[in-house]
Amino acid sequence: MALSLHSAIRKTWKTLSSIKTGVVLIILVVIFAIAGTIILQRPLTDPDEMTRAYSPAMLRFLDATGLTDVYHAHWFVALMLLVSLSIIAASVQRFPNAWRYFARPYKSPEEGFRRVLPIQAHLAITDEEQGLGAAERAFRHMHLKSERIVRPDRFSLFAERNRISEMAVYIVHASLLLFFLGYFVVDAFYGWRGFLMLSPGMASNQVEMKSGEIRSLPFSIRCDGSGEETYTDGTPKRWWSKLAVVDNGQEISRKEIVVNDPLVYHGVRFYQASFGRTGKLDRLVLNAIPRSGTGQAQEISLGPNQIVSLDADTKVQVAEFIPDFVVQGGHVYARSNDVVNPAVRLIVTSEKTNKVVNFWLPEIPGVAENASSPYNFEPKDLKTGVFTGLEVSHEPGQWAVWAGVILMAIGLTFVFYVVHVRFWVVPVQDASGNLALWIGGSANRNRDAFEQTFKRFVEQVEKELKPKFEEAAEKPAASLPKTTTAGR
Amino acid sequence: MARARVEQHPATGMTLVVMVGLSIAFLLFIAFLNVVKSGDILSEANLLYAALVFYAGAGALYLGFGVTGTESYIKFASLATWAGLIANTAAVAHRWYEAGHPPFASLYEMLLSFVWTLAALTLIAEKRYAVKVIGTVTMPVAIVGVVLMQLLRSEVRPLVPALQSTWLHVHVTLAMLAYAACALSFALAMMFLIQDKLKTENFLAATSIFTVGIYASVLTRFEGWGGFNVIAWDAENKSEVFLAKNVRLFVTIPDLGWLMLLVFAAVIAPFTLYILTRVRKNDGFLAVANRAVFISILLQSLALVFFVIRVRDGRYSSLDAEGLYPTNLAASPFILSALVAGIFANLLYLLLLWRREDLERLLPDADTLDRITYKTICIAFPLLTLMIAAGAYWANRAWGSYWNWDPKETWAAITWLVYAGYLHMRITRGWRGRRAAYFAILGFGVVMFTFFGVTYLLNGLHSYA
Repeated sequence: MALSLHSAIRKTWKTLSSIKTGVVLIILVVIFAIAGTIILQRPLTDPDEMTRAYSPAMLRFLDATGLTDVYHAHWFVALMLLVSLSIIAASVQRFPNAWRYFARPYKSPEEGFRRVLPIQAHLAITDEEQGLGAAERAFRHMHLKSERIVRPDRFSLFAERNRISEMAVYIVHASLLLFFLGYFVVDAFYGWRGFLMLSPGMASNQVEMKSGEIRSLPFSIRCDGSGEETYTDGTPKRWWSKLAVVDNGQEISRKEIVVNDPLVYHGVRFYQASFGRTGKLDRLVLNAIPRSGTGQAQEISLGPNQIVSLDADTKVQVAEFIPDFVVQGGHVYARSNDVVNPAVRLIVTSEKTNKVVNFWLPEIPGVAENASSPYNFEPKDLKTGVFTGLEVSHEPGQWAVWAGVILMAIGLTFVFYVVHVRFWVVPVQDASGNLALWIGGSANRNRDAFEQTFKRFVEQVEKELKPKFEEAAEKPAASLPKTTTAGR
Repeated sequence: MARARVEQHPATGMTLVVMVGLSIAFLLFIAFLNVVKSGDILSEANLLYAALVFYAGAGALYLGFGVTGTESYIKFASLATWAGLIANTAAVAHRWYEAGHPPFASLYEMLLSFVWTLAALTLIAEKRYAVKVIGTVTMPVAIVGVVLMQLLRSEVRPLVPALQSTWLHVHVTLAMLAYAACALSFALAMMFLIQDKLKTENFLAATSIFTVGIYASVLTRFEGWGGFNVIAWDAENKSEVFLAKNVRLFVTIPDLGWLMLLVFAAVIAPFTLYILTRVRKNDGFLAVANRAVFISILLQSLALVFFVIRVRDGRYSSLDAEGLYPTNLAASPFILSALVAGIFANLLYLLLLWRREDLERLLPDADTLDRITYKTICIAFPLLTLMIAAGAYWANRAWGSYWNWDPKETWAAITWLVYAGYLHMRITRGWRGRRAAYFAILGFGVVMFTFFGVTYLLNGLHSYA
């Protein structure tokens, strides 16, 4: 029983680590990812649009299977977990071999290896030391450090470059795991996103989550102003908000945020997401003209709940502001909160007579009592309240993601552009007893470019061999160059 | 060999060059006369026009080379490409100066940069790697690009707040480079298949499936009794007409649907004949199939001409709203590109059919092409990775999250996965040759869908291009 369990685990592990499993998983991820871009997705799409697009039975099916929110469905996350496990399994299975290769490089080639190595050359030499010395000089010429390997039965040279390249694949895979860790683990469990709406002067720590629940921050954000700039054609150019962080009743910091430049405090980010009008009155500027004809016209400015005296007896205040009015059956209603068709009801009171007059701007027949007001009002300017929409997010996992990006950039550079090259130089005796220098080389990628490098190296060794060779063969050869100079 | 060819056609050797040269001179002269009247010589439109004329001349010469194999055309063709590139560079510089930002912010600006990159790459490939026929493929693409630009909104539009970021330039530059590398790997994989002695009829099958796919998608707009639906165009606001958010207003052009149906039948014919060849094992059908391709090109051109004439300037009724609504080619760039791409693919097939031996002689050998394809993808893949990373970083600053599962993001990730699959198969499984080439072609198909398909078919945050 225990044995079969053991073998089951082994089998699972083997299946997970196979490249076939990896490819099947990648194909599954691709299929479901595509499904998510074709099927309308829940939080983004309006519920009304969903019901319009799909039949009720279809929608029930899609909702039940999680296809309306593919990327957050449990099975999708489970699939990504399987992908991670497959990457880990594949890496773990192949890693020891690669590590052996990395940690204990093969420095002294045996005969069997020498016979089958595809890139190799033979050079005739007179003695071992002369040959190895020439090779060492050739290595130095190529800025490679060589080492002498002494074994009981052989004596050879070894040089290499960029051994780290053998580890590059693991760096790339590790970076992928970092992405998954950041997005599917850290941010899935500890991250959140919400929305905060503020009007200038307001402070709040209540962030509304996507799900509708409210999250209280341990500090609050105060808005000191917000605005919009537009291009001449009316398209938005800039949205800005002046924000202040208030922690424990103290103002900690201030920042003017714009799109692309958020405010960050304690890992919580505040983004300028939208800007709009609240549909509430901020300030109304009026020209008040007395009806009696004796007094002067005066300009008054009214805010909400503000009472302004026009003369010793008469006062005026804003009773109602309707951003988009419609009249029906003798009543005035608000149609929307957009300031497109505004109306305002002023109350003009006289202290002496206790008379209260409802003055409507514009004058709405049947409702307005404008004629009985001691003053006539002309609208001059209207400012309505603004709000700024802040996207609030806490994504501690992003640091794992950015670390993964950097790691992946390094890893990919090594995978594609850094080649592990190795050279071996061994003095050998051929069948007829002649001494020769066996030179072998290998590169883990980009073989054809390495063949050129190898050729250059062999030529360099030949060149290094020559003067010595001539020196050893005939002594007067050394004076040859001198003769040529003298001859000039 | 080359000289022998020239001697074979002594009469035609210079004729094409002279004809193309004269047409270029004539077109530029006419344009110059118009410009002198209006005054502003170095405007972007004029520079683009000049680029178009030169590219068209280069394209004609490259095609002439492709068809006749006369190598002396190449010299003049690359000269014309140089001239076009200079005009194009001036147009890019003009745009950059006017807009105050690099031309990456709209589909029009992207096309402007894309055509420039394409022309530059053509010259590099020709001079440095001696891949001379490349212009036969790239120049027609450049011409289509410049023509498309004339139809798109070209006025400098101010950047909306989300686009005001350095990361826009980083992200888009990386994307252009990555996509250009992917396009190159696609072209190289195709050339590999030619050198790998893939039978010409297989190219026929691929071209036919591609064209049938195009007309099948086009026919989804077939309406009622022979009508054809296109999106209405609001000339005043220079935008499509919307009934509600994301709901566009379609108008029906009468009878155009019949023509599209006819062309669909015509493009399905070569494919049917190809299937017959395979099933009956009778090569006699192939000759008929090739003739059918020729006929389908003529009909496709007819469909394109009628589509352009009917859509360019007309008012049609709609099923969803009362009254007549105007249409414009700018509202249907997708259909237009599809029609042009269909003709183009079939022309390339004809080129292969008629001049395969010359192509084989001119192209590098199969092994080299296989290796270069892999190397191009080795360049494309890190660029894709960085492009996605830069996009994520920017999204984190602009939208509040580094990953939103927006369709564009998701498809970029899918592209990345496809190329990752290619690399794994190549490196660990030793996939070489045809299988690798097919994979490279698939990868580019996904890239094209991410670039164009997602923008036109799927809605999302990434709505700029």
